Amino acid sequence: MKQTVMIKGNAYGLVVMLDKEAPFEDILKEVAVKFRDSAKFFKNAKMAVSFEGRKLSPEEQQQLIETITDNSTITVVCVLDKDEENERRFKKKLEEAVTGSATGSGQFYKGTLRSGQVFESESSVIILGDVNPGARVVAKGNVVVLGALRGTAFAGLSGNEQAFVVALEMAPTQIRIADTIARSADRPPVKPDSADQPKIAYIENGNIYIEPLCKEVINDIHLI
Amino acid sequence: MSEVIVVTSGKGGVGKTTTTANVGTGLAMLNKKVVLIDTDIGLRNLDVVMGLENRIVYNLVDVVEGNCRIKQALIKDKRYNNLYLLPSAQTRDKTSVSPEQMQKLIDELKEEFDYIILDCPAGIEQGFKNAIAGASRALVVTTPEVSAIRDADRIIGLLEANEITKVDLIVNRIRMDLVKRGDMMTIDDVVDILAVSLIGAVPDDENIVISTNQGEPIVGTDALAGRAYMNIVKRIMGEDIPLMNLDTDNGFWNRIKNIFKSK
Repeated sequence: MKQTVMIKGNAYGLVVMLDKEAPFEDILKEVAVKFRDSAKFFKNAKMAVSFEGRKLSPEEQQQLIETITDNSTITVVCVLDKDEENERRFKKKLEEAVTGSATGSGQFYKGTLRSGQVFESESSVIILGDVNPGARVVAKGNVVVLGALRGTAFAGLSGNEQAFVVALEMAPTQIRIADTIARSADRPPVKPDSADQPKIAYIENGNIYIEPLCKEVINDIHLI
Repeated sequence: MSEVIVVTSGKGGVGKTTTTANVGTGLAMLNKKVVLIDTDIGLRNLDVVMGLENRIVYNLVDVVEGNCRIKQALIKDKRYNNLYLLPSAQTRDKTSVSPEQMQKLIDELKEEFDYIILDCPAGIEQGFKNAIAGASRALVVTTPEVSAIRDADRIIGLLEANEITKVDLIVNRIRMDLVKRGDMMTIDDVVDILAVSLIGAVPDDENIVISTNQGEPIVGTDALAGRAYMNIVKRIMGEDIPLMNLDTDNGFWNRIKNIFKSK
């Protein structure tokens, strides 16, 4: 007999392959059987799921998910249309779900981060002091420096493009947000004209922008 | 109460040895009993700057290895009776001494001296670790150049990590003419980045070159750098001395102005 349902795994979740021709009722039954059989194997996993091989209406998709959750202890974090390029988004969504709201909570550090020192955090970071050249701040969430940022700041380590970097004095060697890197100009102006103004760095359309931290910009911030 | 001070910088050639020689001599001039230790094993030169090279019989490694007593290795300065030098070995390397051995040596010297000043080698490896092992206080020397400041910053971080919290900064080789033209960082710029207390600034003075080559420390002389070092010495001893004006604009009009000011 031809298999109507196949379950495959990738690094971040499950891909459920569905037969194109078989009646939907049969497929539902088969999904129930497959997941019941492997319930032990999956235990209480949190997973992203995608369905492949067949066009599904929203109702059908909902039915499938209910079947999966009814017959196993898997928590379906999200459902994605299978798309080769989507695997990265897969990963991010899952990591965000697993690490909780990485950007919403924060960790404080008081003191000057000096050359050679690295401060890493699973959440957001607030530095009460300066980050000197040669020092690094790495956070899964946002980076806020209540002092001068002269070294390297890396926000949104796990790929969160909503992450931002704020500093009272923005003169970084390098800023990274998610997968985008920006470096300082090769010849910095001797006295940056607006050096003493608080600034924010964020991503828009794949570019990192640095702007004065004004009300309008703060309104645009989304903590996810 | 004796104080153990390490003079360090990270980068080479910024003036650690010159500072050690002058601060040590200055303290001796003010009647403190001082010993200078050259911890730059293999690249010794504090003895040269002090003009004592020809008197070396035993050295730091000999003391640590037990080839001689501490007293035998200490060289008395030719100008001040209360100033001594413990020279480093030239034929060995940094691994000949361990931080524990340095600590033990310093504990012994503490009994007898008011100030123990350690001339630290450049770098952050074994030699640095040896030099800071027994120290309770540090003088970080830097010049107003980005490379020296970067290294000083790293060094301050390492000192803090090693629980040496009393860290003071000396900004060396300032050229006021360049500062005025905006081509050199000001003292304030340097202090702003490094965020430690400034204990003194020393101008770039050609008299330093002459004094170094002659093996005579400049401190105590009337040269600008000599006065700057004496101020640092007094501040180390806890006196509150204001920073002096390093501006040596001896142009005609300024001299005229000075004449009127002094009246």
